[in-house]
Amino acid sequence: MPLLWVKLHGMTQDGPTRRDVLKAGATAAAITPVLTQPVLAGAAAPSGAITLLVNGERHQVEVEARVTLLDALRERLALTGTKKGCDRGECGACTVLADGKRIKSCLTLAVMQEGREITTIEGLAEGDELHPMQAAFLKHDAFQCGICTPGQIMSAVACVAEGHAGSDQEVRDWMSGNLCRCSCYPNIVDAIREAAGR
Amino acid sequence: MIVGRPMSRIDGFAKVTGRARYAADQQVRGVLHAYLVMSTVARGRITAVNTAGAEAAPGVIAVFTHLNMPRLTVPAPTHGFFKRYLPMQSPDVHHQGQPVALVVARTLEEAQHAATLVEVAYDARRPQSRLEEVMNEAFVPPPGSDGPNELTRGDVAAGMAQAQVRLEAAFHTPIHHHNPIEPSATQAIWDGDRLTVFESTQSLMNTRHSLSQAFGIPLENVRVLSPFLGGGFGAKGPVWPHTILTAAVARRLRRPVKLVLSRAHTYTSNGHRAETVQSLRLGARRDGRITALEHIVTQQVSRTEQTQFNSSEPTRMLYAIPNLRSVQRVARLDLPAQSFMRSPEAVTAHALECTLDELAYELDLDPIEVRLRNHADVNPEDGRPWGSKYLRECYRIGAERFGWSRRDPRPGSMRDGDMLVGWGMATAAHTAGGRPGSGVTVTLGTDGKATVRSATQDIGTGTYTVMTQIAADVLGLPVYDVSFQLGDSDFPEAYTSGASATVPTVGSGVNLAGTRALERLMALATAAGPLQGLPAARVAAADGYLFDREQPRRRVSHRAVLRAHGRPIEVTLTPPAAPLGYSTGATFAEVRIDPRTGRVHVSRIVGVFDPGRVLNRKTLRSQAIGGAIWAIGFTLSEHTLVDPATARIVNANLSGYLVPVNADVPHIDVSFIDKPDPASAALGARGFGETPMTGVTAAIANAVFHATGRRIRTLPITQDRLL
Repeated sequence: MPLLWVKLHGMTQDGPTRRDVLKAGATAAAITPVLTQPVLAGAAAPSGAITLLVNGERHQVEVEARVTLLDALRERLALTGTKKGCDRGECGACTVLADGKRIKSCLTLAVMQEGREITTIEGLAEGDELHPMQAAFLKHDAFQCGICTPGQIMSAVACVAEGHAGSDQEVRDWMSGNLCRCSCYPNIVDAIREAAGR
Repeated sequence: MIVGRPMSRIDGFAKVTGRARYAADQQVRGVLHAYLVMSTVARGRITAVNTAGAEAAPGVIAVFTHLNMPRLTVPAPTHGFFKRYLPMQSPDVHHQGQPVALVVARTLEEAQHAATLVEVAYDARRPQSRLEEVMNEAFVPPPGSDGPNELTRGDVAAGMAQAQVRLEAAFHTPIHHHNPIEPSATQAIWDGDRLTVFESTQSLMNTRHSLSQAFGIPLENVRVLSPFLGGGFGAKGPVWPHTILTAAVARRLRRPVKLVLSRAHTYTSNGHRAETVQSLRLGARRDGRITALEHIVTQQVSRTEQTQFNSSEPTRMLYAIPNLRSVQRVARLDLPAQSFMRSPEAVTAHALECTLDELAYELDLDPIEVRLRNHADVNPEDGRPWGSKYLRECYRIGAERFGWSRRDPRPGSMRDGDMLVGWGMATAAHTAGGRPGSGVTVTLGTDGKATVRSATQDIGTGTYTVMTQIAADVLGLPVYDVSFQLGDSDFPEAYTSGASATVPTVGSGVNLAGTRALERLMALATAAGPLQGLPAARVAAADGYLFDREQPRRRVSHRAVLRAHGRPIEVTLTPPAAPLGYSTGATFAEVRIDPRTGRVHVSRIVGVFDPGRVLNRKTLRSQAIGGAIWAIGFTLSEHTLVDPATARIVNANLSGYLVPVNADVPHIDVSFIDKPDPASAALGARGFGETPMTGVTAAIANAVFHATGRRIRTLPITQDRLL
């Protein structure tokens, strides 16, 4: 157990409880840039089993505290629909819903999301029946390469739920956290406006 | 006809459900995770490395540096490996952000963390990264594949002497980065001497050849898979070292290895659009006819390469200029290798189209009129006629759709409340095709369905969809009876998805192979059964049936003929090289500028284009919109900034490098002439993907001049430059 973490969080030599890991993870999110190297050097990062509720299914997953929700989804649960474009919250490709709210899954640790209902792009369609937002994206050609599309669609679903799809301009403003380098923005606006029932 | 229909993307369902598996998404059993350590200096030698801390870190399998990386052969540049060295083969450092170590661990987090523990000491020399400081060292490189680097047509001095108006202008364009949202990714899996890679690439061909050469293994031992690609824009057309290094360590460790570049890594690993300094001298008569043009472009190359992508085609091809001098020079800097990036011609087209706007003001002519008076009726390069060219119609329709006739040309004359309003226009043009044909296999199965395979890529342009449409039309099958497969180098070799060449090179292959397969099917159908004895010319195919043109009810299904035949029909061929097409258009932009902040907002764009025949209006329109938005970024916000003291990129991310976001983008009005180009072997379609970005850049800059009276010749036109 890294000494500094024990000092900060009062963990015992017997290893952290799940709550300790959660607390450590939450703190690590804030201090990572400064302290990752000296604190973790040469030592195993704290890890433990957590339960993630993703798309209505419970997944028991062994993760270190430093594992982001994005990497837990992609590398542990093989839910690769959620994409990594920048790993620092700039591009929005990793957008998922947590208890119905859109979050960037690269900016949160998996351990912080225990107990929340996570919805990813894989959980949106009912079998092969597309969610109206997915159907609207397909109809309006609101993507080209498709790499930002899962994030755009999750963000769009939340954008409508938030009540931020009242006009084209409102959609543009509230969808500006999701980059599309193929630059399908006008088609994305059209798709969201249609799905929102313009 | 199925071609021309605005079909939704065939791969769309996979993309909107998250089921499309990109290179980093492929599940490989037992895969190890790699992470790169990059040089922090731009020029020098590694004097010491300490990997002990990294090696001792939990989960680490191995740490590679130049001391223990397996020795590799530098692949030839003929297949897209433009760098003339491989990193981690010697202690030399040629640019900041060059791989100096590669850590392999059980998990991504372990690899990323251990990478921070690798210590590297350098003997560093002071780098040079400022183009303006090495202009006197610039030279004209040997000819490349994109036309002459030095060209004289007519007599520029005589042409300038005939001129009644003379203009001189200098332009500067910055370093740009492609920034596909998917960073480059490689997963390498060895089975003895056979290598399989999942690769995010615009060129299975380039990747396969380069890997074969790097490891000295036969071409057929290398399989490259890339069924989906998360954007490339040129970044993934060449082959870059990280792909080879990943395969090298996988071979050494006898385990599959996965490497995904970080966003910051991509800024020094995938090439970039080079910074340019351009000078133009232009002479014209008072009637608007250009008598002479000299256009000298100087751009950055690296210390180790002189590969340079000639972007002077607009100078040479866009207008009928009797006396011309076009020079492409390069100067070496301690920066990563430059490479091609979507619409390379945008750089020179921007300078030329802005200068034409200056000429229009100088002559008090409408900018469209100036362009019409210099319209190239034939290809100025060789004097031969175009396959087809409807640029005049583009100007006329574009002007109507935009409302150009209501423009008051006086700078600063149009306002909307406090906002300055500007209208500008420019010509869009880009070459397409002129590349080797792409191999295609068409298989008509005994179930009457077609499988069409080519080792091409769909970089988001709609290859899956339009090739399915072409095949369905040519074979006379419904779309759902055609499966077009790509992204596997085991299929016939195809050209790189770049240079707007996919429709000309692959489309012509699908057309030709499909035609041959249908001929064989017709031969069978007319040998027996309902169509027996009919000459082939009387037989047509549609909707899964072959029928008598004169009595359409006399028919037989593809399926019936093939079942009777008892085995599939298969045709594999590579079509001739695609002719060089030239896809043009007219673009118009409206800007609104806040005079207090200098903020430019593009409020309207109109583009009318001549791409030959439109194969799929929906996907083509998306490409046009994408190009226009790329032009917004190019003109107003995108630039990669280099710290001159260290030659380090300081905004290697997506919060300091500003690509357009949704709120930056207005309604974009796109239309197409949609008339087939008879020179095309792809059902009348030309390559088009790179045309729409050209033109719009200058249309925006010209609109900024119209709004403000300020001619900003340095890009991007940021607020500080307008205040």
